Amino acid sequence: MRTIAAHSDEVRREIREAIRQLEHVLPGQAPLKGFVHHNTLHGFQHLPFPDALAEVHRVTGNYGYLSSDRFRALYAADRIDREDLEQALADTAELEPDKSLIEGKQGLTRGDVYRVALRVRLSKVTASQLGWQIEEQEALQRFQDDVPESARQCLLAASTGSTDEPSAIADLWDACLQSLGLQHFLLHPEDLTDLSAEQAEQMFEGLDKDGSTSTQPVTHREMRREAAARLGTLLDRTGTELTLRGVLKELTGEDLLDELRPVLLRHLGAWLDLGLAAWRSADAGQGFYRSWRSSAVRDPVWLFEGLDDWHVHLKSLPNDPMETIIAELERLGLPRGRWTAYLERLALELPGWSGMMLWRERHPGHEGLPEAVDCVDYLAVRLVLERLHAQRMTGRLWGVEPSLDMLRWYFHKNLPEFLARHALYTTRLPEYLASQTRRLALAQQAGSREPSDPWSQVARMIWTWQRSPASEQSAGYSVFREGWRLFRLAQHLGWSGERVRDLSAEQLREIFATLDRLDAETSGYLWLRAYERHYREQVFGALAANRGRGPWAERRERPAAQIVFCMDDREEGFRRQLEEINPAIETLGAAAHFGVSHWWRGLDDSRPTGLCPVDLVPSHEVRESPRRGAERLYRRHARRRGWRVRLGDAVNQELRRNLLSSVPGIVAAAPIAGLDLSAKLAAPFRFGRWARRLRERFDLTVPTELDYVAERPLEAPSPENVQSGFSLEEQVARVGGFLRSMGLDHGFAPLVVIMGHGSDSRNNPHLSAYNCGACSGNHSGPNARLFAAMANRSEVRVALRRQGVDIPDDCWFLGAEHNTCDEEITCYDLDRLPGPLHPAGQRLLDELDRACIGSAHERARKFASVRRGADPQRAWRHIVGRGYDFSQARPELGHATNAAAVIGRRSLTRGVFFDRRVFLISYDPTRDPEGEILEPLLLANGPVAAGINLEYYFSTVNNDGFGCGSKVTHNVTGLFGVMDGAASDLRTGLPRQMIEIHEAMRLLVVVEARLDVLKRIYDRQPPLQELIGNGWLVLAAMDPASGALHLFQPGTGWAAWQGQTPKLTLVERSVDYYPGTLEPLEPVLLRTPAGGERAGA
Amino acid sequence: MNEVIASLVPVLPIGAAMWIAAGYVTGKNRGEAGERQTAWIAQGAAGSSLLLVLCLSLPAVWRGAPGPVPVGEWLRSGDLVLRVSFALDPLGLAMATLVAFVCLATLRFSVNYLHREAGFQRFFLVLLLFMAAMELIVMAGNAALAFVGWELAGVSSYLLIAWAFGRPNASRNATRAFLTNRVGDAGFVLGLFLSWHWLGDFDWGTIGRGAAGLSTVNADILALGFLLAALAKSAQVPFAPWIARALEGPTPSSAVFYGSLMVHAGVFLVLRLEPLLLQAPQMAHLLVVLGVFTALYGWLSGLTQSDVKSALMFSTTAQVGLMFVWCGLGWFELAAWHMALHALWRAWQFLHAPALMHMVSRPARPVPGWLARRRRLRTAALQRFWLEPVTDWLLVRPTRALGRDVDRFDEIIVSRMVGLPEQEHAVSSLSDWESRQQGGAAPQAFGQARGILGRLMEWLANLLHWFEDRLVLRGGGEGLIRVLRHLGNYALEIERLLERPRYMMVLIMITFVVIL
Repeated sequence: MRTIAAHSDEVRREIREAIRQLEHVLPGQAPLKGFVHHNTLHGFQHLPFPDALAEVHRVTGNYGYLSSDRFRALYAADRIDREDLEQALADTAELEPDKSLIEGKQGLTRGDVYRVALRVRLSKVTASQLGWQIEEQEALQRFQDDVPESARQCLLAASTGSTDEPSAIADLWDACLQSLGLQHFLLHPEDLTDLSAEQAEQMFEGLDKDGSTSTQPVTHREMRREAAARLGTLLDRTGTELTLRGVLKELTGEDLLDELRPVLLRHLGAWLDLGLAAWRSADAGQGFYRSWRSSAVRDPVWLFEGLDDWHVHLKSLPNDPMETIIAELERLGLPRGRWTAYLERLALELPGWSGMMLWRERHPGHEGLPEAVDCVDYLAVRLVLERLHAQRMTGRLWGVEPSLDMLRWYFHKNLPEFLARHALYTTRLPEYLASQTRRLALAQQAGSREPSDPWSQVARMIWTWQRSPASEQSAGYSVFREGWRLFRLAQHLGWSGERVRDLSAEQLREIFATLDRLDAETSGYLWLRAYERHYREQVFGALAANRGRGPWAERRERPAAQIVFCMDDREEGFRRQLEEINPAIETLGAAAHFGVSHWWRGLDDSRPTGLCPVDLVPSHEVRESPRRGAERLYRRHARRRGWRVRLGDAVNQELRRNLLSSVPGIVAAAPIAGLDLSAKLAAPFRFGRWARRLRERFDLTVPTELDYVAERPLEAPSPENVQSGFSLEEQVARVGGFLRSMGLDHGFAPLVVIMGHGSDSRNNPHLSAYNCGACSGNHSGPNARLFAAMANRSEVRVALRRQGVDIPDDCWFLGAEHNTCDEEITCYDLDRLPGPLHPAGQRLLDELDRACIGSAHERARKFASVRRGADPQRAWRHIVGRGYDFSQARPELGHATNAAAVIGRRSLTRGVFFDRRVFLISYDPTRDPEGEILEPLLLANGPVAAGINLEYYFSTVNNDGFGCGSKVTHNVTGLFGVMDGAASDLRTGLPRQMIEIHEAMRLLVVVEARLDVLKRIYDRQPPLQELIGNGWLVLAAMDPASGALHLFQPGTGWAAWQGQTPKLTLVERSVDYYPGTLEPLEPVLLRTPAGGERAGA
Repeated sequence: MNEVIASLVPVLPIGAAMWIAAGYVTGKNRGEAGERQTAWIAQGAAGSSLLLVLCLSLPAVWRGAPGPVPVGEWLRSGDLVLRVSFALDPLGLAMATLVAFVCLATLRFSVNYLHREAGFQRFFLVLLLFMAAMELIVMAGNAALAFVGWELAGVSSYLLIAWAFGRPNASRNATRAFLTNRVGDAGFVLGLFLSWHWLGDFDWGTIGRGAAGLSTVNADILALGFLLAALAKSAQVPFAPWIARALEGPTPSSAVFYGSLMVHAGVFLVLRLEPLLLQAPQMAHLLVVLGVFTALYGWLSGLTQSDVKSALMFSTTAQVGLMFVWCGLGWFELAAWHMALHALWRAWQFLHAPALMHMVSRPARPVPGWLARRRRLRTAALQRFWLEPVTDWLLVRPTRALGRDVDRFDEIIVSRMVGLPEQEHAVSSLSDWESRQQGGAAPQAFGQARGILGRLMEWLANLLHWFEDRLVLRGGGEGLIRVLRHLGNYALEIERLLERPRYMMVLIMITFVVIL
């Protein structure tokens, strides 16, 4: 107690700091309605990519690469080829692939070993697997199935004595064992129940018997020594690797979390709830810990659960959660140095919930909810619950308190019990041992009084088994480990038995050391780079081949129209389709906040939404209001919409909430629900459109305008001091800045469309993830509309002209929104289009409609449920129907397959089929010699694109660890997240349905800029150094003048691309190329009229 | 004609399920490639089933229901005759139509929703089985046939809760739900037995008519059996907790089982037994009491639930509780309408559950002040009124303890009696070997006995030896006294065991059995 008082302040600070640090390891996902893509491992971004993944693997147990088997399948499917693998191997200097292991003509380098180990599985086997291989697969008479023909020939040719397959293989096996000094007899574990004298003698000889002065039998002493060491290790791992729950799990096989999770989640879910439960806690202001405690004290659950200490313990808890944490950790007997690590471990047991707690702590007052959210509260409750449940277990089993000291004391007295329990629950014991041990454990649980020491005999048997050759973890070389691996390796190298026998002990050691160097992390990173290189070569090749083909490099002619899309990879297909329909159109790409971040309050919104990148807070507000003369219509609209929304709330909330009054409600709603269900399921497309039209007609459409001009500009608008609308200077600055960033400060077409985007689907908790990431997971149509309105103001244009951006008077900006799910385009304020532009406008709308159908057709190829070769109209209907279909778990595929980004002029990429895999960001290096435009562009768009890409990457490589599993069993929780079933961890990341066709690789960003400009920017900007220098994205530069490509390699710097410009297939139009396959396609060249500029003239 | 149509209604889905199973076993429809075929077979069977039901129910709207339709004999053994027959009355036909519709809708929903899931075929197979089961329950003309459906529904429910069997939570909860339902099944079996014993038949009609002839006590007991089944299946207090654990399966299965159809099977059974219930006033009172409890339990607990599936589930439980109240009060018509419309509504609501956060514009309306202030009640609601821990405490734990005792009995007495091999003399650890090396050969037993006879001989020999040694050779009385004290200890031990409640219960049960 003295120590607490003395160190209290310091300890508190330490714990506070540890909680602050939790954001590095916990998922940082916001409530689902505000889902925005971000790097899943954002907290590790300060480390180089491979180091970060290794660290995450260590801390959370989640492996961050595709499995080797998956990579091997990609290798077999030619998505990685030999050259990629060689290159990746050569680039990994620390593996020393050229180092020779065996000199001479038939020498062996490390690289040779790696090549085999990468291509085939060389892992150890279990005893039963080996038995199966030998008895069922005839592994000692035949080649392994995956051995290539050349290696087989080589091996057979080298076998002097025996040239037939069975004897050569058998000889090889003998040779492997012989050279390792092993003997192989298929020892069944149960043979150990009756040891022969020779066996016992042999094993006994192997014991380490030094210092044998004591009179105790050697085996007895050795066993105790080993058990004590293991006990020490286990208890020392508490904090850094395990919590008390983990320790007890290794000793009893029972998971405390299974019991306490439902209890905890009921309280926690109710506390964090955003509006599902009607009955909220009455003490919202007091914090979770106190609220929970006052509820728990009144809770008689301990009576039935046998938690005898519950009541007393709860009453004795301090009021302050921090004090509780300190007291609990003290009682646990954990050394001070491991306290913070222990809390981190505890938080990581339920990462989703802990992360949500932390997020809410960081965003106080989220949605105006009163509940105080603090992670200290949460951790205190976790600790108390863990203790109470542990107490029941340790009390019942061993009659001790659940503290490390007591456990140490008890098991030191009962080492055989520890040895047997630990072996049973952490390793795979053979059946005869497992059943005996389990029986003892069960008897102890029942509280029966056993004769003296029942554990000794079984512990002795387990210990004996562990040292026998039948065990897989015996020390030294083992048949299952080294023996089998050498056997496999030799086959793949084409080595005969003689060659293996020639190996010296030193060489063997080197070979195994080499194999061990290629651990999971190293091989994963190696494979990943090979995989990325394969696609990179294709992109580089396509860019090189397309050089000089794309129009509008200098915009000497005037395009028929210019359309500014979001940089989104999903728009690549749409833009290409549109350009194929009318080559005279120029398309551009930019982050779809369009430089006009603001708080948006739509006509029907009750509160404003921030339409800006997620790390910004806008300082301006823009409202949508009814046009003059439409006020009466608006009032009717508001009334009717109010009815409809209230009815919806009543149906969805009240009918669930109330008891008796729900009866008539249900009776009335049921027949309509039945009709709705049949119609939706029978004809989603037709019914969806009909219902939407009905809704629109009922709601009445009100013509609106934007209030975006600041009447009274503030001195300095800020997030705290939000200004209504933008002042003229601000408008000029925003419009001019944005146009210049795209290089669109000259050569304006008569029509410039600013195209925002969003997605809409019916039954999708992850809806926000499909929306515009540059607008924090919202629709970016309002930004487009706002930008167009500003750019059309004559005052703005006059001021811009003075700054050198000359927008001609016959040019008009249109705002629009592209629905990426159902391929619908909504144009805003079309009626304000000047008369002379009507024909051109009409033509453009028609072309956009055709592009929608083309884009839908292209998207449809990746859906398994669309018949191959469906015509465009059919495909379009299918795609639209998906958006309306409430049974669709995949309304659209989102950003799946995104892999690259090009920052540069469209002329670089126009004319290449990029299969919707490339973010396209417009930037004109010729108008930015010093890189002043490029710098903010990289700073803003680099993290956004990398965030999307990395979230897809991690959710794909390990969907269980980083993603949220299948949507099918998801259960929406508190309106902020999803669980699997009714009492699981909160699942974060992307669902399996979103990533199943994704190709997990880091984003390749190709910037069209001079190398020296890029270098200067990189040197100036720490955020870019972190992102690029640590390898979270791969950067390449394309020189605007020469087209030379350079790749940035972390550690070594820029290297020129060595590849040759390939001869790419030339196809007429995209539609001639893509149909018929589901897989990602290689880039090809399109025969768009090379002179788009000519066509536009 | 009617009998053919009626029989085809459950047979078609079963047939389709068999087809899918056969295809899966032979590898014909596995994986993604087999999805289209599976989906078509399933929807085709369910659709045809719906059409056939409509062939029966639509004409019934204007011509009146055809009534009971005998199909044939199932088995005959002495007095016991099991018939296959359908009760095509308005209640049965209306429910059969609803069942077919909801199942078809769910199947169609699942085609897209479960696309590319590893358990796609399994899901459709089980859902078809469930459809057949529900059709059997609602259309069966006698209790025995309904029981077949009853069991099939239970099994398919188990299989779908554990659909994601890789998650320990899912399999654990499935087992729990399954076991709770077995209690109800025991009640059903009791009902079957009594109706055969007292009324000589299982026919719903016979049970209804015969009820009038039964004494009130007998009618009460007979009704109790069936009610037990109904209460368990419809998750009423005290069986309620299982259904909250049943939400581990895919959303469509949660919708069709626990939101829509299976949860109403109990209400349907009560409706079927309307005439019997009228003869058993005690049971009707029981229904009202339990129904009110359930409604309050579901409503209050539902108010505190913070995940969609649980919130909907408790709300459903509460409404079903109300239906039992209507039945207990004798308002069977109201209960029937409530049941049918509620089933339809919940199917819609559960299937839309993932979209909830995009369908509501504001948080749920807070509870009124008088309720909000009751903190203790909120704790109770949050803890679901401790129904589960209490049941565990009262039933599960004693049962498990009993199991362990039996196991020990087995180990200590039975296996020794029958002479299972023991490894007492082998060298099975290095320590054994070492001690043997050091201490020379361990004293080997002269001969080893195996089996009862061997043991008996050994024991006899030992006894004689001991007798000779202690009583004859050493003389004196203290040996005898020790023996008596030993016996006394044994008696004490037995008494101590009997004092434990579980053995008291066993004894009481044995007494009952003997008396009966």
